[in-house]
Amino acid sequence: MREFMDHITNSFFEATRWNRDNSYSELNATTNDLLNFTLPYGLRLNLSALATPHFCTSYQLGAFGSVDGSIAYLYSSVPLHGVVAQSDRIPLLPLLRSYRPLKELRLDATDSPASHSGTLLYGCMYLPRSTLQARVIRRFTPELQAQVSAVSSEDLRNGGTVLASAHFDKGIYNVEGLASTDGGLLGLRGLYSFGGDASPAGLPLTDTAEVSGNGAAALEKERIYGRFSVGGELYYGTLNKSAGMSVGGRFATLPAYSGTPLTATLTINPLMGNISASYAVLGGEHCTLATMMDFNVYSYESDWKVGMELWSKRRPGGFLLGAGPETRGSSPLTDADDPSRWKSRSFQAKMEWRLDDAVPEDAGREETGCMTPADEHLGVLKARLDQHGRIGLLWEGRIKSLIFSLGAGIDLRRLDQSFQSVGLNIRYSS
Amino acid sequence: MAFNFNWSPLTADEKFYEKARDLLTAALNKSPKPPIIVDDILVTEFNLGSVPPELEILEIGDIAEDRFRGIFKMCYSGDAFLTLKTRVQANPLNTYLCSKPDFTSPQPLAAASGLTIPLQITLSEIKLSAFIILVFSKQKGLTLVFRNDPLESLKVSSTFDSIQFVRDYLQRTIEGKLRDLMMDELPAIIHRLSLQLWCPDQLPKEEDPFKEDREPAVDPLASPPLDAVDAEGHLLDQSEIAAISLDGGPEVQSLFSQKNMVRLATLTDTNRTLSLYSPSIKDVMFRAWAGVTDRVDTGHNSPLATPSLARSHSFHGSATTYTFSDAGSQEHGHLPARPSLVSLNSATTGLTLGSGRNSKSGRKKKNRVVNLRKKAATSGTVSETVSEADEPSSDSASIQAPMSEPLMSTAIPEDPEPEVIPTTSSPGKVRFRSPAEQSRSPLSPSVFGQQQPSAPITLEQPKTTSSSKPPIPEQEPERPVRTADSKAPTSWEKRAGPESDTSSVILEQAWIMKMAGEIARRVYDEKRRNPGFWEERDEIPPPAYEAR
Repeated sequence: MREFMDHITNSFFEATRWNRDNSYSELNATTNDLLNFTLPYGLRLNLSALATPHFCTSYQLGAFGSVDGSIAYLYSSVPLHGVVAQSDRIPLLPLLRSYRPLKELRLDATDSPASHSGTLLYGCMYLPRSTLQARVIRRFTPELQAQVSAVSSEDLRNGGTVLASAHFDKGIYNVEGLASTDGGLLGLRGLYSFGGDASPAGLPLTDTAEVSGNGAAALEKERIYGRFSVGGELYYGTLNKSAGMSVGGRFATLPAYSGTPLTATLTINPLMGNISASYAVLGGEHCTLATMMDFNVYSYESDWKVGMELWSKRRPGGFLLGAGPETRGSSPLTDADDPSRWKSRSFQAKMEWRLDDAVPEDAGREETGCMTPADEHLGVLKARLDQHGRIGLLWEGRIKSLIFSLGAGIDLRRLDQSFQSVGLNIRYSS
Repeated sequence: MAFNFNWSPLTADEKFYEKARDLLTAALNKSPKPPIIVDDILVTEFNLGSVPPELEILEIGDIAEDRFRGIFKMCYSGDAFLTLKTRVQANPLNTYLCSKPDFTSPQPLAAASGLTIPLQITLSEIKLSAFIILVFSKQKGLTLVFRNDPLESLKVSSTFDSIQFVRDYLQRTIEGKLRDLMMDELPAIIHRLSLQLWCPDQLPKEEDPFKEDREPAVDPLASPPLDAVDAEGHLLDQSEIAAISLDGGPEVQSLFSQKNMVRLATLTDTNRTLSLYSPSIKDVMFRAWAGVTDRVDTGHNSPLATPSLARSHSFHGSATTYTFSDAGSQEHGHLPARPSLVSLNSATTGLTLGSGRNSKSGRKKKNRVVNLRKKAATSGTVSETVSEADEPSSDSASIQAPMSEPLMSTAIPEDPEPEVIPTTSSPGKVRFRSPAEQSRSPLSPSVFGQQQPSAPITLEQPKTTSSSKPPIPEQEPERPVRTADSKAPTSWEKRAGPESDTSSVILEQAWIMKMAGEIARRVYDEKRRNPGFWEERDEIPPPAYEAR
């Protein structure tokens, strides 16, 4: 689940029309969210409020062994009018969904610069440990944004660290530089996009695409239509004389593509000989699947992970809580087996659909999906499994006006104490 | 004197190695490992080698059936080796990120992906050289402290020997870790083991203070005099102690109040300035009292019952304890002549002062302890001085003649010394009397910790080295107690002969008597080699010798 403050920060980016995902560090954000989602640990309560369009607060109280908590404030110079912060009305799909469809690249800066400027201030105090976090995000021009993050804590060497970064986003390409006080780390990241909507209109590739798109709609549907991005990163620690780098590429379908949305990434770390490939597919409105393979050419170590996400339109815990009357109105048996059946069929349909035109079938599936009483998505189950037999389960949803996430970590290799962690997060925001 | 260690049977036992490997593996994996180590540490090979360590006895401070205290010098340069296997993270960025908060992490995409490399480390050519202080008592177990950093050199060879900076890093890190292990962990382990062995019933009781102190090597409840280590040990960690012992310790000063430091400095300066003024020092605990309590604690003589008691009593009662390390030799002649309360220095130099002192002390019916002893003395002088000391001791005044040959020789040429002594002693009367009276009236062990007396002494040490022997007047008050330390065995023995027949330690005395010559010589040699070392460990005397 996206933290409340993260959600607000994202809203700030949207309000200032900053494309957060257009960055090399977000290259495999989709698979990362699907495979490395954080599991809640212990009991945690979160009270948040967007008090004014400019200001919001968040209080957190955690209990696991010892009680701890945090107080966070956020100020945005840009009014966040359209943002829905109330936990009973907030749309779950954008909040909880892992798969991130590509956003439109901002190729022409026709807007006035004023609409792009803005400042965001964020501060958070963790109480028993007296750790202080602060972040300033400042948008200077439509292309340039700077961000400074700092942590102060007595646990850290020198009492704290500061990370400053500057992003330069020109749409097709994106460059960002960063510097950290910790070890004097300097970094440079860049991303270049081509293909799909990223290619300028003058290029022949786009021309053919346009032609094919305009000319033969049927052909266009069968072609995989997406955007390629390649990028790299380079780090150097000036104090500890260590360096790191990686290069990577991604192919992701554009939202305009009517087929199955998918994202494939390949990253290579030439220094360490690490190759990592990931693949994520939005198998339908209700299902997302992701896999990842790691291989190291020097040590021959390999690793794999699979993850999935299932959306439910059923009220979470409907049987126990007695949910809404309409849910009970339909036969419980169909309710019970409907989602899985629907999802598997939907996925199959999608697979078929890629082979031949299956729009009507999809429509049919949608109809069957719509037959379930509740229109809105009410919960999501995320699961992951890795090579070491570790399973992560996370169930997130909404009960009344509370958004909860219930998670458990299970280790299959140690059956005697297989439950490594159990946690519950409850969030209320207004 | 020599000990015969059986080294080869120890190393030939196969089960021993198996057990040791298991123990080491368990110990190495117990504590949380740094992020660079991504696997368990396995001890694959362990061999003690065929060359035994050399052990040299420097001093035996106390020996009895149920207790032992001594200082050894250990040298080892054998062929023992140890091989470890583990896997390490080779990506520096990965380990860099491990310890950093997420919030300011640069969040690299794939640059931090790990590369684990199997690593084999062999530690060999271990060279150790250490002064070991060993205190054993059946009640308190075995305490072993390294006076200095025992690790001299070590060869670390690993899989990465071809990469220079990795090799250097490993060498540095492992040496540091081993030093910590030897100085901090090892004494604790040994103590705990010894407790399990000898007094398992005390184990839970003993456990607590150690945990509090985090300094298991220094047992706060143990027999009070534990050398300098004990005096400072509660506050210092081992490395600091080592530093102090090695280089006379400017660091020590931070332990004590600046004000007192200044006062003590002026006090010692009076020696040179001829100033009559000496600052009074509040809340100062002198060795003389500590000796009382020690004696009571150890209870060798119940003070009131024995003839030696009278003496000890007088000794405590004499608030002014004068000690003349240098002039002593000249004064010996006078000593017997002035049997009662005359202080030596008065006889030689400051007559007026001395007389004043006499009158005062006479009024108070006090006996003086004149301790002229210095640390190391050749046996010849020892016996001589002792015999001299005995005569006054037969009188009501317990006078300890100077013992230390080297000190006398150095100090004698220094002219101001005799004059100085009166000056310091006259204020010293005031200074010492009041505490002495206090101590006398209770005569009970309710004296403060033994650390306090040590404070002025440690403080003076740097000075003693710089100016030949100015601090002597300062140190002397404690001398009577301190005599126990180095050459004390002989002197005490002699004195004990006539007086304290009731002493329960006669057996030891006889034994020690035999050893005295040897030890004294050894001590003298050692002292010449390493003066700071002996200076320091003089501070607190062992209890056994005070009781007489």
